Amino acid sequence: QEEAQAIDQELFTEYKFSVDQLMELAGLSCATAIAKAYPPSSFTTSQPTVLVVCGPGNNGGDGLVCARHLKLYGYEPAVYYPKRPNKPLFEGLTTQCQKMDIPFLPEFPGEAELIDEVYGLVVDAIFGFSFKGAVREPFGSILGTLQRVTAPIASIDVPSGWDVEKGKADGLQPDMLVSLTAPKKAAAHFAGRYHFLGGRFVPPALEKKYALNLPPYPGTDCVLQLS
Amino acid sequence: LSVSSPQAFPLPSLPRKQPTVLVVCGPAQNGAIGLVCARHLRIFDYEPTIFYPKRSSDPLYRDFTTQCEKMDIPFLSYLPTEVQLINDAYNAVVDAVLGAEAEAAEGREPCAAILATLKHIRIPIVSLDVPSGWDVEAGSSGGISPDVLVSLAAPKQCARRFLGRQHFVAGRFLPYDVQKKFELNPPEYPGTECVVALRAPR
Repeated sequence: QEEAQAIDQELFTEYKFSVDQLMELAGLSCATAIAKAYPPSSFTTSQPTVLVVCGPGNNGGDGLVCARHLKLYGYEPAVYYPKRPNKPLFEGLTTQCQKMDIPFLPEFPGEAELIDEVYGLVVDAIFGFSFKGAVREPFGSILGTLQRVTAPIASIDVPSGWDVEKGKADGLQPDMLVSLTAPKKAAAHFAGRYHFLGGRFVPPALEKKYALNLPPYPGTDCVLQLS
Repeated sequence: LSVSSPQAFPLPSLPRKQPTVLVVCGPAQNGAIGLVCARHLRIFDYEPTIFYPKRSSDPLYRDFTTQCEKMDIPFLSYLPTEVQLINDAYNAVVDAVLGAEAEAAEGREPCAAILATLKHIRIPIVSLDVPSGWDVEAGSSGGISPDVLVSLAAPKQCARRFLGRQHFVAGRFLPYDVQKKFELNPPEYPGTECVVALRAPR
């Protein structure tokens, strides 16, 4: 977890990337991975509807970017974003989604069955690699409901609620994980069908410094399927 | 732009031993986009070199410059006027000198000299949005002739005069209501691609 945070810090302070830049590339990777694993034609719901649950930090921001690109890829995303940071970055991303006619749900569907009926896929953009400690409400209840959902769940970077290094045996079991920049230690415990790598922005020198040993991405793709 | 370059010039097809590309960046937004393109080309395993003579003081663009420098992308201190040197060293040139915003005379001078050199090179040119030096609506007479044009958002009027090999549109980020409002009628983007090739002009 510390290494992931150190890499992030270095990208911002040494390489002078902005959060906006990397968040856009990360969100785009997530949407692209989803499009490869769950093409709109594969949905059993009448429309390719996707529920994107966004948490209170950067993982939530990644979710907002992902939702916007999913819309451009032909999906019908809906966002649940209960705790919104008071910062221009997140306000901007929210506006971009709203202006693309992506609905923001006023409340979280209380029953797992309701989610399964309406949505063909759920994107878990609640907590990322900085997550530590206890899960605050409303996310505890949300994760509880998501664990009972049968529709596939795609987690961004780290399955929410998991310890970033050790995982969580009784926690969320997503079908897809999109690891950003490099897989986190917890990814070793991932048991779903699709593990993708995204966030194709790592400078070669940084990759070497942290011995990330990333496998090569295919061509100009921004995602790589690891499993 | 950086995605279309590999589509137009895939790595295995390049004539030179090293996948070198010269990216010429102007002083304004078009140049800044060139910097971003160069960075992605480096990630795609090309070997870009940048010529960026008149640097913007905009903090965003300065950060783009730092990102490139920290990716070990060399910045030329001058552009050889001996065209053969450019032909020999690089497989292609990315023209990110002037875009659709190029109204002001300021910043044109260094550009005029660069464009004069670019007119005489024999390796392919990929122009970003508007072939530099062209009038954004009327096109050009006697200006540079790019091999590939990447229109941003939507083709500009002058794109009708484009006679090169491939014309790509990179506009998949446009919200639907903007597309509708300006009656852009963009083509379908294949799969998850962010660029689409328009039918060749000839």
